[in-house]
Amino acid sequence: MAVERLLKDEATEEKGDRARMASFVGAMAIADVVKTTLGPKGMDKILQSTGRGRTVTVTNDGATILKSLHIDNPAAKVLVDISKVQDDEVGDGTTSVVVLAGELLREAEKMVNAKIHPMTIIAGYRMAAECARNALLQKAMDNKQDPEKFTSDLMNIAMTTLSSKILSQDKEHFAKLAVDAVVRLKGSTNLDSIQIIKKAGGSLKDSFLDEGFILDKKIGIGQPKRIENAKILVANTAMDTDKVKIYGARVRVDSMARVAEIEGAEKEKMREKVQKIIAHGINCFVNRQLIYNFPEELFADAGILAIEHADFDGIERLALVTGGEIASTFDNPESVKLGHCKLIEEIMIGEDKLIHFSGVAMGQACTIVLRGASSHVLDEAERSLHDALCVLSQTVNDSRVLLGGGWPEMVMAKEVDELARKTPGKKAHAIEAFSRALQAIPTIIADNAGLDSAELISQLRAEHHKERTNAGIDVITGGVGDMEKLGISESFKVKQAVLLSATEASEMILRVDEIITCAPRRREDRM
Amino acid sequence: MAASVTASVPAARASSSKTESYVDNKRRDDVRQANIVSARAVADAVRTSLGPKGMDKMIASASGEVIITNDGATILNKMEVLQPAAKMLVDLSRSQDAAAGDGTTTVVVLAGSLLRRSLSLLSAGIHPTVVSDALHRLSVRAVDVLHGMAIPLDLSDRDSLVKSAATSLNSKVVSQYSSLLAPLAVDAVLSVVDPAHPDLVDLRDVKIVKKLGGTVDDTELVKGLVFDKKASHSAGGPARVENAKIAVIQFQISPPKTDIEQSIVVSDYTQMDRILREERNYILGMVKKIKATGCNVLLIQKSILRDAVTDLSLHYLAKAKILVVKDVERDEIEFITKTLNCLPIANIEHFREEKLGFADLVEEVSVGDGKIVKITGIKNMGRTTIVLVRGSNQLVIDEAERSLHDALCVVRCLVNKRFLIAGGGAPEIEMSRQLGAWAKELQGMESYCVKEFAEALEVIPYTLAENAGLNPIAIVTELRNRHAQGEINTGINVRKGQITNILEENVVQPLLVSTSAITLATECVRMILKIDDIITVR
Repeated sequence: MAVERLLKDEATEEKGDRARMASFVGAMAIADVVKTTLGPKGMDKILQSTGRGRTVTVTNDGATILKSLHIDNPAAKVLVDISKVQDDEVGDGTTSVVVLAGELLREAEKMVNAKIHPMTIIAGYRMAAECARNALLQKAMDNKQDPEKFTSDLMNIAMTTLSSKILSQDKEHFAKLAVDAVVRLKGSTNLDSIQIIKKAGGSLKDSFLDEGFILDKKIGIGQPKRIENAKILVANTAMDTDKVKIYGARVRVDSMARVAEIEGAEKEKMREKVQKIIAHGINCFVNRQLIYNFPEELFADAGILAIEHADFDGIERLALVTGGEIASTFDNPESVKLGHCKLIEEIMIGEDKLIHFSGVAMGQACTIVLRGASSHVLDEAERSLHDALCVLSQTVNDSRVLLGGGWPEMVMAKEVDELARKTPGKKAHAIEAFSRALQAIPTIIADNAGLDSAELISQLRAEHHKERTNAGIDVITGGVGDMEKLGISESFKVKQAVLLSATEASEMILRVDEIITCAPRRREDRM
Repeated sequence: MAASVTASVPAARASSSKTESYVDNKRRDDVRQANIVSARAVADAVRTSLGPKGMDKMIASASGEVIITNDGATILNKMEVLQPAAKMLVDLSRSQDAAAGDGTTTVVVLAGSLLRRSLSLLSAGIHPTVVSDALHRLSVRAVDVLHGMAIPLDLSDRDSLVKSAATSLNSKVVSQYSSLLAPLAVDAVLSVVDPAHPDLVDLRDVKIVKKLGGTVDDTELVKGLVFDKKASHSAGGPARVENAKIAVIQFQISPPKTDIEQSIVVSDYTQMDRILREERNYILGMVKKIKATGCNVLLIQKSILRDAVTDLSLHYLAKAKILVVKDVERDEIEFITKTLNCLPIANIEHFREEKLGFADLVEEVSVGDGKIVKITGIKNMGRTTIVLVRGSNQLVIDEAERSLHDALCVVRCLVNKRFLIAGGGAPEIEMSRQLGAWAKELQGMESYCVKEFAEALEVIPYTLAENAGLNPIAIVTELRNRHAQGEINTGINVRKGQITNILEENVVQPLLVSTSAITLATECVRMILKIDDIITVR
């Protein structure tokens, strides 16, 4: 008796082992793509766009690579998602999380082949993850009480994050920039008030941090180039022509003089609008839209600095940092919140003139100006710096710090191994597998650096079986080194997020035993 | 069993450097190789245009336009390469253009040579990051060497400035005019230097106006303003005004037009007559207001909404003896107002005398087959300069403009960083020699890499000699020899075809061009080396 077809014509269904296999393969393939970017000697990838312009991106950032991939495999999509979440939550460790999840699945595949039930594996993974987390908790150091030590922790974390990126050669310089910027934030994780401006030319070393806000625009002609104690009105309003926007509106007149009158009236309306704006008692006016010649001249006459065509992002940030609000009507001057800053002036960076707002109301605001050889370098530098800023701002809130260089993984692996030995039953296999997956991370770091990973990992493990060791992989000399002396630190929060979300993701994929692909939606006309 | 930490660590180091673990890297090596090969292909394409005897390239663009140029950045920009790594080389030359303005070919040739050496290093089994780190150390050291060779310069030393501008021009199509263009470039840049910020030069303050006709010889520096336009005197307006009072206006002298759609209803003949009369009165009123301020030259901004001037308004303006230049672009307004030291006027109501600019003479001059309007003797002129480039055909003019731009950049570099360095391959040979010696002090892989890259720098003198039709091997070896004897300023004298003290030949270039070439080239090569995969994305 034939079973009735449950699904639509083109929907496909894969069951049991086949489904699981498909997920494993997809997830591992994704992990393998980004695997080589891990660690200080990780490699970069070129992302070549097939879209218009065939733009080229060179990057080392796991999240960026994964985000841009074409992916068909559902399990692979899960991994891409966790890397995205990791990026949003803590900003760094985007590659680690995918690699760890991939390794967990690789181990799981072996166990499934050895006839261990996925649920047993999941239970084992959960216990292992809990145990690993506790191990990290115990080993984490907190230097919040000691500001000096805490700053050096921040520096170390920033340098460790940057060492795997393009900025590695100037990491001290950039670590300092990032730490300074984050310390200004005074604990808030709102990175919006740190503005990054990219200007081609010069070298990476010429990048600098500036307090205040920089707007990449020009000041109108004939207007003051420098204003002290500025009162700023940020607006989004049409300053070209105040057209009556009623469809089909037209006026009928019977003489030229009347046309001139209407034109005059239009001008008058504009003038009134400008007068109203001036009546706010401002000396700087920033508009998102164009400012035409006529109002521009009126502003110039009133000695007001008017900036036209500031982009959306620009004015929102400007409003935020100067403490103003974006206005679009000007009838009630008292209800409009003006922005304030001490000084507006024109500065020159490279070949371009920019407008610098210093002494802004929101004291923590600052701007990092990145310089570099080409747009590729600048984009990648921005991504790297963003990672560092994210990690640092997280660390400021949760000041627990771990050592880096594969140290946390080895610590966790050791504890998990202990647990495996104490646990009876099949779960012990899964726990052991978890520890192997953890050790894969230092293995990959060593492999990427062209070192003998098998040799190094066994040495590292031996070191870790002693009490209170700081041993990790030192890729520079190619051996086992003391991570504390080398100043390689990582944020506890990042490591914890990597551990937990990788475990969760692999658990999710393991649970799958059926993949149903829905029938593609048909177009009406194609029948 | 428990060996002490100190004992086990060195043991690990020794073993790890010997035993390479087995990893399947075939695809990665393929990608890297493909990247390097295609990047080198780009470098080879511009190689022959290096140096004073370098050849030009003719580029036919898709639109049928033909460009003849010797400028590396221009050639590469037009090449439309697709391979990502090759594209990075194109960007490299663009960056050099932005940073120093000159040496755009040098930087690409240098990167190509460094890539060739990296390929052999990689095939010897050295890890790319080791090569990349060595390259970084090399570039830092190379810049030190260059600084050691540099000769400080005083801005008042006009001769040296002219010399370095001439060196840049010598490799261009317009080289025979270098004696004219070099001093011109120097004067142009020096005249826009603001005494308040002596090390900042905004090249946008130097405007190049191109006009077909005559020869490059007729190129001149104008203290004032030049418009590549005719004065509008279809109605018989003046073509020459002395003691000019100039207004830059952003409104139109034409019948009124409202933003709201409007239509005039004409119901009978007398009304029509009245409308015509009113239009006339309206315009006459405007012209009278303008005349009342004493203004006698009008520069009118182009408008897309309506005619800037009509025949009628031109007629009245001509009657009022006002010279009119119309269709001035909006983005030129800032330059013009800065030069004339006046303010733009956006409304007839605001037409006041204090917004006007003053000049001794505004006149229309016929040049070649066209006419231009010149404004000279401007009172309180802003720090701007105009260079009027002439040439017998469009190709020559365009190339002259590009060459002049390079020369301007060279002078700007010197203003920013006041050091000169010898040209003619001397700095490259010296870097190669000193870095080669330094490599011997280093240890391990790094020493090996630095040695290779030091040799790679010799590509510049080698190519210079090759392009000049000299025997490259003989020249480079002799050069090396002379430098080893301490004559660090000897270089290839392409004109004489031999090796001489290049400083005596007046072949000098700004230090910034050389340092930026070496840092940018190494940065780009390092980036290419670190790539191990190309992923196609949306």
